[in-house]
Amino acid sequence: MTLPPLAYHALVGFVVLNVVIGMVTYVTLLERKFAARMQSRIGPYYVGPHGLLQPIADAIKLMIKEDVVPTAADRWVYNLAPIVFLVPCVLIFATLPFAPGLGVADLNIGVLFFLAVSSLEIVGLFMGGWGSNNKYALLSAMRAVNQIISYDLPFVFAALVPVVLAGSLQMSVIVEAQRGLWFGAYPVIGWLSFIAFLVATLAAENRVPFDILEAESELVAGFRVEYSGMKFALIQLGEYAHMIGTSFLGALLFLGGWLGPGSDYVLIGAFWFLLKAMLVFLVITWVRWSFVRIRVDQILAISWKLLLPASLVLLLAAAFWVAVRGGHGA
Amino acid sequence: MTEIVGFCVAAVVLVGASLAVVLTPNLFHAVLWLAAALVATGGIFLLLDSPFLFAVQLLLYAGGVVTIVVFAIMLTERLVGASIRQTSRFVFSGAVLAAAVFAAIMGFVLQGGAVARPIAGGDQLRELGRALAGPFGVPLQLLGVLLVIALLGALYFARAED
Repeated sequence: MTLPPLAYHALVGFVVLNVVIGMVTYVTLLERKFAARMQSRIGPYYVGPHGLLQPIADAIKLMIKEDVVPTAADRWVYNLAPIVFLVPCVLIFATLPFAPGLGVADLNIGVLFFLAVSSLEIVGLFMGGWGSNNKYALLSAMRAVNQIISYDLPFVFAALVPVVLAGSLQMSVIVEAQRGLWFGAYPVIGWLSFIAFLVATLAAENRVPFDILEAESELVAGFRVEYSGMKFALIQLGEYAHMIGTSFLGALLFLGGWLGPGSDYVLIGAFWFLLKAMLVFLVITWVRWSFVRIRVDQILAISWKLLLPASLVLLLAAAFWVAVRGGHGA
Repeated sequence: MTEIVGFCVAAVVLVGASLAVVLTPNLFHAVLWLAAALVATGGIFLLLDSPFLFAVQLLLYAGGVVTIVVFAIMLTERLVGASIRQTSRFVFSGAVLAAAVFAAIMGFVLQGGAVARPIAGGDQLRELGRALAGPFGVPLQLLGVLLVIALLGALYFARAED
């Protein structure tokens, strides 16, 4: 039986949406367990066997919490911000193919769509920071805008290196182009641009050591300090969805996506892809629990003086190499 | 059918948001409406079978330009403490002028008659890339030069006073 295309896309979209939300819930547990192990702790343990039901308990707790709206808040902006923040974070999954032929829409501008949509996240962020009418939230939103202006470019340039090497913006084509050699293992150009991508990812997701916008010792919780209950949950959901989405992008661009032994079967391919994405996620988590936060001026200096020129040079080098090698046969 | 409905939704959002940009007194709200208007413009590109322009519109305008405008407002308004209200003193004459421009454009469109949409063959993105690197290579380079000049100008204005 074949469904009409619209119904098919709607169905796949619905499934992907729910899988993403489920994954986000459990990735928080993964992060907490991982962090605990790094610090010789056990982590969540008492809710369910080995703490496996902890994320569900957290979700229920957040849902039944009282929703407090500050009196001086800019009400419309404040209430809309979590949704405006969440939508792009979930939409980025729309063009990700999880295995050959398995995905919502494998657009021919896939990577560009991902980058474009994830750049909208900042709108929700400064809506929250401004609408809360709280100076900590505002300072946090200021820093976020600052940081995103600085790190969007290196992030895009680093992500474009595999695009140039594969000669396509379509995600499935990029994966197939890595059949011989993953782009993350591509001599020099690939290695360096994978590192640049990881650093820019940390900054784009505001993770330690680039988490100045929620520096808890100075800004409490940053732009979401005034949010509670379900709205807080939506923001958390968006943040983790963005992080997982970027991990998937990294695995797809540099680690060969679903390629691996037996990847001709859809499920095995999806398994490899998930494994690689979680690997990227754990690297990000590992950095988070190992390094200290750096200062604002250091963050800006790293971007403008090191990462941006380096990623530009890498992009040019990739283009030059492709030209020398003889293009993509087109 | 879906196309017409989609266009109507995008058009209503676009016109409504654009009006809100010029009419709301709160500068920050104006920027948010501007973001909505830019996303709606992207939606119209999408309806015209141009997903590439849609993505570029989101990346550069809704993501980039709006961020920079917000940056400027935040720096001036809340942190410096000066409250800036948008004062539209010439609303009436502005509306008249806008109506005149609208009438003129509609006149041209109606005179021109309906033109069938060109059927895009092959990989549009590839064709676009070829066009930009081939016949339009020189204009593209010139645009780059223009942007560099604009950057230098900004640096000149932002230099430390001595």
